[in-house]
Order: sequence, then structure tokens, then C-alpha cells
Amino acid sequence: MVQNGQAAMMIPAQEGVGLGMIALDDFTPLVEAHQRRIYRVLLGMTRDPDAAQNLTQECFLKAYQKRGTFRGEASVGVWLLKIAVNLARDHRRSRLREFWDRLASSSAEVEELGRSLPDPQASPERVILGREEVSGVWAAVQKLPAQQRAVFVLRFVEEMSLEEIAEATSLKVGTVKTHLFRAVHAVRRQCKRGNV
Amino acid sequence: MNNHLSENQITEWALGTSDEHVLRHLETCSACSREVEELRSALAGFRDGVHASARRDLGFWRSLQLAVCERLPAQDWYPLHWAWVLAMVVVLITAILLTRAPSVPKNYLSEDADNALLQAVQGDLSRDVPQALAPAVLIAEERNEILNNRRLTK
Repeated sequence: MVQNGQAAMMIPAQEGVGLGMIALDDFTPLVEAHQRRIYRVLLGMTRDPDAAQNLTQECFLKAYQKRGTFRGEASVGVWLLKIAVNLARDHRRSRLREFWDRLASSSAEVEELGRSLPDPQASPERVILGREEVSGVWAAVQKLPAQQRAVFVLRFVEEMSLEEIAEATSLKVGTVKTHLFRAVHAVRRQCKRGNV
Repeated sequence: MNNHLSENQITEWALGTSDEHVLRHLETCSACSREVEELRSALAGFRDGVHASARRDLGFWRSLQLAVCERLPAQDWYPLHWAWVLAMVVVLITAILLTRAPSVPKNYLSEDADNALLQAVQGDLSRDVPQALAPAVLIAEERNEILNNRRLTK
């Protein structure tokens, strides 16, 4: 279930204990190893490729500045995700950005996401239905509160365990589960409404 | 109809935390199977869609990596700067404390006071006249001197 997550976390916790002493030359491979996953999570949370790109840079800059505070309790990957989730949350707090996000809720990115569904074997009807389905989920996810959106993306895009999500969001496992329940309910409701 | 899976049970299934009862029900109930299959398909489609949207060519990742690394050294002096400021403050406070602290230990002070008191007592004991009567002795001596002078002048 977590094969993608494990692949992205290349530096185990014990190796990360000395991150505070990491030099600039050693930080570059860390960026290379984790940038794809961080970008993907930020794209899932912001739905904005430019914002995701900028926030990915910010995430690594913040990680470099705060490398002295990394104690190795979690893996470097989860620690980076924690920074990324906080950045995405701050990004969404801007009312102006929310306004533009709502205005663009049926923007080209949503359509592009629907088009990018890789299923060359499916019939044309199934492809259209699939695109609508994915666009529906995507739109529903964007309407979720920040915390629910974060746990939903980490669970269903990154396929992380509840414990890893709890670590990355600074929440208890029970709270993560509650957020996931609410998020899945909201997404299902939204999708059913879309189908009617 | 009430035997169908609840909303919570379907969500539990999606999270992979459902129990045996739910799994057995899904084997026999086509309506619930269709429900969970729709949900599974929607979630899988969303995951694949986000993964596909986040796929970029090698040039994108290289430029992102370069942008991060170009900005790193400029940011690096901040933690060092604050570390220096903190070290200087600690040195300054230590210096102030050291210069203000009394240089003579307390034990020596009390020992000197005891010695002075003992010497004073010894001095009092060795006097012919107690120290308190010393002015009276001086007055008496002056009086005797005046009387002697008068006698001589007569």
C-alpha cells in the first residue's frame, strides 16, 4: 500500500540524525531524491503548478535553514512533507488566493487532470466517464478544509500510512482518521451530486 | 435494504481498515460491491491523475534543483549570524558577572574581624585606666597642672 512512499524516502531516519551538520554539497542529492514527491503533494494540495513549483523551492530552503532542528524521529521524507504541508496551508490562507482559486475552479488544470487519465484500453464512453469522475474528485478535494485536504492527498495520492500522515501533519492518528472519514464522505457526496 | 453497508463502513473499506463482516458482505451484495468499486475507481483515478499531472521532464527537475541550490548559500548566514550574536551575549554577561563579583572570600573577612576584636580587647585589658575614663584622666591632669602653676606664681 505504501510502495510509492517508501520509494521516495531514500534516507532512513538513522542516517538523517546528523542532518544539522549537512553541508551544501550533501544537500543537493537530498533535493534530487525528494523534489518529485514534494512537488506532487503540493500540486495535489494547491492545484496550481506555479505555486507548487515555488512552494517546493521554499520547502527545501526552509529545510536547509531548519536542518539543525531535525532530530531523526521521523524519516527525512516525512519531515520534508511536514514542511510542505505547512507551506501549502499558509499559501491557502491568503484570502486573495482563495478568491482566485474559486474563480478558477473549473480551470484548465482540472480539465488537464481529467485528460491525463492513463487508460488507453478503455472505451471512449469509459474514458469520458473516467475524466468526469476524476475532475469531480479533484473539484471536491479543493473544497475540503486545509487539514482534510492534506490528509486526503497524503493518503490517496502518496498512499502513506495513518502513522506517517500523523507525523507529517502533527496530528494524532485518531484525528487523522476522523479527517479522512470526513474528507471521503465529502468527496463521495460531491461525486454523487455531480452524477445526478 | 437496511442490511447494506453504511457510509462509514464504505469509508473504512476505502481506508483499508474494514473488518471481516464487511468483506463477507461485499462478496454477496452486488449493490454494495458496485458502490465500493465506484469509490475505488474514483480514488485511483484521482491518484493517477495527480501523478500524471506532476510528471515533468528532466529539465524541469534540474532547474528546480538549481534554483534551490542557488538560493541556499545566501540564506545560510542567518543561522550562523544568530549563533555569533548569542555567543557574544553569553561572553558579555559572563564578563560582567566576573568583574562585579567580590574578589575576597567571605571566610577571610570574618577571620580579620575576629582578630581585630581580640586585639581591641587585649588593648583594653593592658591599659592602666579603662578607655572610657581616659578623658577624665586628661581633665584631672590639666587641673593639677593649673593648680601647680598657681602655686608657683604665688
